[in-house]
Amino acid sequence: MSPSTILNLLGYINLFLAGSMFFPLLVNWIYGEPHARGFLLSIVVTALSGLSMILAFKRSTRDLSHRDGFAIVAFGWISATLFGGLPYLFTGTFDSLVDACFEAASGFTTTGSTVMTDVEKNSYGVLFWRGLTQWLGGMGIILLSMAFLPFLGVGGMQLYKAEVPGPTADKLTPRISHTARVLWQVYILISAVQVFVLLLGGMNLFDSICHTFTTMATGGFSTKNTSIEHYRSPFIEYAIVFFMFVAGANFSLHYQFLKGNFRALWQDPEFRFYSGVVLVSTLFITINLLPGLSGDVLKSFRLALFQVVSIQTTTGYSSADFEKWPAFSQYVLLALMFIGGCAGSTGGAIKCIRIYVLIKEAARELYRLVHPHAVAPVKLAGKVLSQDTLNGIRALFFLYIGIFLLASLAVSLLGADIITSVSAVATTLGNTGPGLGEVGPLDNFAHLPAASKWILTTCMLFGRLEIYTLLVLLFPEFWRK
Amino acid sequence: MSIIIIGAGEVGYHLAQRLSQEKKDVVVIDRDVEKIRRVQNTLDVQAIHGSGGSLSILREAGISEASMVIAVTNSDEVNMISCLVAGVQDRVPKKIARVRDPEYSALFPLFDKEHLDIDLVINPDHEVVDMILNLMEVPGAVDVADFADGKVRMVGIPLLSDSPMVGKTLAEISVLYPKSGILIVAVQKGDRVFIPKGPDVIRANDLLFMVMARDKMQEALESSGHRRPPIKRVMILGGSLIGLELAKGLEKRGVQVKIIEQNEDRCQEIAEKCDRALVLRGDATYQDLLLEENVAGMDTFIAVTEDEETNVMISLLAKKIGVRRVMTLVNKVGYSPLVHSIGVDVVVSSRLAAVNKIMQFLRRGKILSVSSLPEENAEAFEAVAMETSDIVGRPLREIEFPKDAIVGAIVRGSEVIIPNGSTVIQPGDRVMIFALTSAIKEVEKALMVKLEYW
Repeated sequence: MSPSTILNLLGYINLFLAGSMFFPLLVNWIYGEPHARGFLLSIVVTALSGLSMILAFKRSTRDLSHRDGFAIVAFGWISATLFGGLPYLFTGTFDSLVDACFEAASGFTTTGSTVMTDVEKNSYGVLFWRGLTQWLGGMGIILLSMAFLPFLGVGGMQLYKAEVPGPTADKLTPRISHTARVLWQVYILISAVQVFVLLLGGMNLFDSICHTFTTMATGGFSTKNTSIEHYRSPFIEYAIVFFMFVAGANFSLHYQFLKGNFRALWQDPEFRFYSGVVLVSTLFITINLLPGLSGDVLKSFRLALFQVVSIQTTTGYSSADFEKWPAFSQYVLLALMFIGGCAGSTGGAIKCIRIYVLIKEAARELYRLVHPHAVAPVKLAGKVLSQDTLNGIRALFFLYIGIFLLASLAVSLLGADIITSVSAVATTLGNTGPGLGEVGPLDNFAHLPAASKWILTTCMLFGRLEIYTLLVLLFPEFWRK
Repeated sequence: MSIIIIGAGEVGYHLAQRLSQEKKDVVVIDRDVEKIRRVQNTLDVQAIHGSGGSLSILREAGISEASMVIAVTNSDEVNMISCLVAGVQDRVPKKIARVRDPEYSALFPLFDKEHLDIDLVINPDHEVVDMILNLMEVPGAVDVADFADGKVRMVGIPLLSDSPMVGKTLAEISVLYPKSGILIVAVQKGDRVFIPKGPDVIRANDLLFMVMARDKMQEALESSGHRRPPIKRVMILGGSLIGLELAKGLEKRGVQVKIIEQNEDRCQEIAEKCDRALVLRGDATYQDLLLEENVAGMDTFIAVTEDEETNVMISLLAKKIGVRRVMTLVNKVGYSPLVHSIGVDVVVSSRLAAVNKIMQFLRRGKILSVSSLPEENAEAFEAVAMETSDIVGRPLREIEFPKDAIVGAIVRGSEVIIPNGSTVIQPGDRVMIFALTSAIKEVEKALMVKLEYW
């Protein structure tokens, strides 16, 4: 490992972060709000820390090792959480560090849980920063810097693997910086379309942009207290459902699609599984909701579809207070928090592909009980999955559940009831947003004790970086020379 | 416009490395998961697991948009098929195939434009034999490369301690030998390579890279005190394809050859194919054979068996017994820095020879063999001076040249000019430039010369 290279690159990431803070400053200026000093101060602090890291530490010419990759990505996200919280502190949005960090982490990890008790009383600049953090974090802050830092070269692959979600990270194009650029271009393109569609639906420009930021990133921060329910517009709901669904699917499929390879989408087993889970869950909840809505099938379907897509893609918008729904529907949503979106999407949680592979593997074990001599490799789209990939998936599943149990135990120890502690951890670890109980869609996380907030903040980072990247830092072997 | 490399062995891997360093889009295909993983983890290229002969894999690699296919798997057949598919199916403009089996060499006429249409057929064994024979032509040299269709030669040679150049600065040397027709383009001290300037002092054992007109090479070397007695007696260890070709080549040049091979049948075969070479059957790991055949009296000992560890060990043994110079075939590139430091004079690698040949084809240039430049890479290449270029029409000393690059030679028509500060480059001249790898981009930009790629 080479610490000076790591610190040098982290400096560049801070510079990017400082650069992105100019946008809320601009919004602040457009709306003539009084927070210019807060944003400017954040920019200066972040940029100076970045510059001093770049100047003080030399980058070695050697390529980044695996360890360097993990360290840069993990510390990059930790520093984004800390520095990304500065605008909240300096504009006086929050007065405690933990709240600022919670909100920043919830932004960058595209979770969407908030500690704001009243979202609508915040200034436009702050709301814009909230949305922007999600949008940047969705495709990945490291991936963004990779698109612009030409010197990463081979080392870029180590970062790509450590940040891009999914069991395997495939490059779309031969060169990593090009792949990063392509992914961002696709992301920006779809985002632009969504802003346009939301404008058509009658949303104002500011809300359209903020909601696009948080839809495409499957983040879920809204500029309204009651989230999408506020607009009472089926058109907007369906439009957002569509874009959430797109954002929860693998972006390399979108790239293929835009290049004219339409079949790739339907041939992809993960995409089919993902669509299947959405359809089946929607069906169940629609039927379950019918009695309460006096048999209004269309409305029941709309509410069910919106909430299922919102939770499964780990966006976390709400179009209704689903805490008033029957227990079964709430339970389905809780289960969806664990499944999440597809690999290579902006969605979080365990990811469809892992669940799908685990199901296949379980089925294979049963098959082998019947045919003890059978040679039956686990295949995906006709290709045999390597033992390494399978091991990685199993271990991640175990770690995910393990961290979920430990964290929810800790949160309950700090005074939350069972439903709250279980759902709060499930929703932050899965980068979803709202939970159940005291942290439901219309509640917030502000009332939790500071220790719980730190735990949940850590859960968000664990979830976004798919456990390994962050957990490996706690592993003594990692630091050994 | 990507380059597809089929086969991620040593040749494929190093080609991919070179090309990706130059920011080319490279796709590597191999059937071996381990090799693909290595490529994925260490190179900025796209790696695809599968057979290079399979149409669907080639499609996945984007063959319809590729500008070149380089097939360098271990299988000659797969290589030819891949090139064939690339040409017929998708009209890839350039195709290079590695074909090793001598049986196939009779087919080479079929590889022309009308038939199989393979632009370059490469045989690593031949390349390494050529390389060794070239090295033999300049006794003492560790690297020899030709440019401009053989008109210009670059020689890498360690400076002997009794040479008059020792301890002098470059400026003094140019005063000492004003008409030598030699330009020192690079100096390697230990692991460091640099382009020398006037005040740099040359010391004994420095490796000098010098450029000269090929037909004036002997005089040039002589006048600057690099002349060494010609090689008359050579012992070759290993009667594989390389050993045999080498023996035949050396025979033709009137060198006395002894060749050691263990396998009885193979010895017979070699004896049939060679005229005067002395074929010895035996195991060279027993010193007696070497002593009996008077290895100490040999000018050069060349170990080219298929087992590189054996090559190194026996080379060292021969050196210990007293042979003046040993050359050793080591294909694993990872070993080569080590081999130098334990006392082998020249390391050759058929893989690197193949990489060099392909790179030379790609840009009519040459990468100095990795073995001679351990840490930093340098490269010599040719370019055509265009009228718009800054280097045309002014004396060289007035040109702002990148620090780590130098003009080594100029070819105007059939005339070779070894430049000095007052030389003026004219439009249309072929210019041979020597540069450290880090400076190549700069050279391209600063000089506006068109680097010749395919």
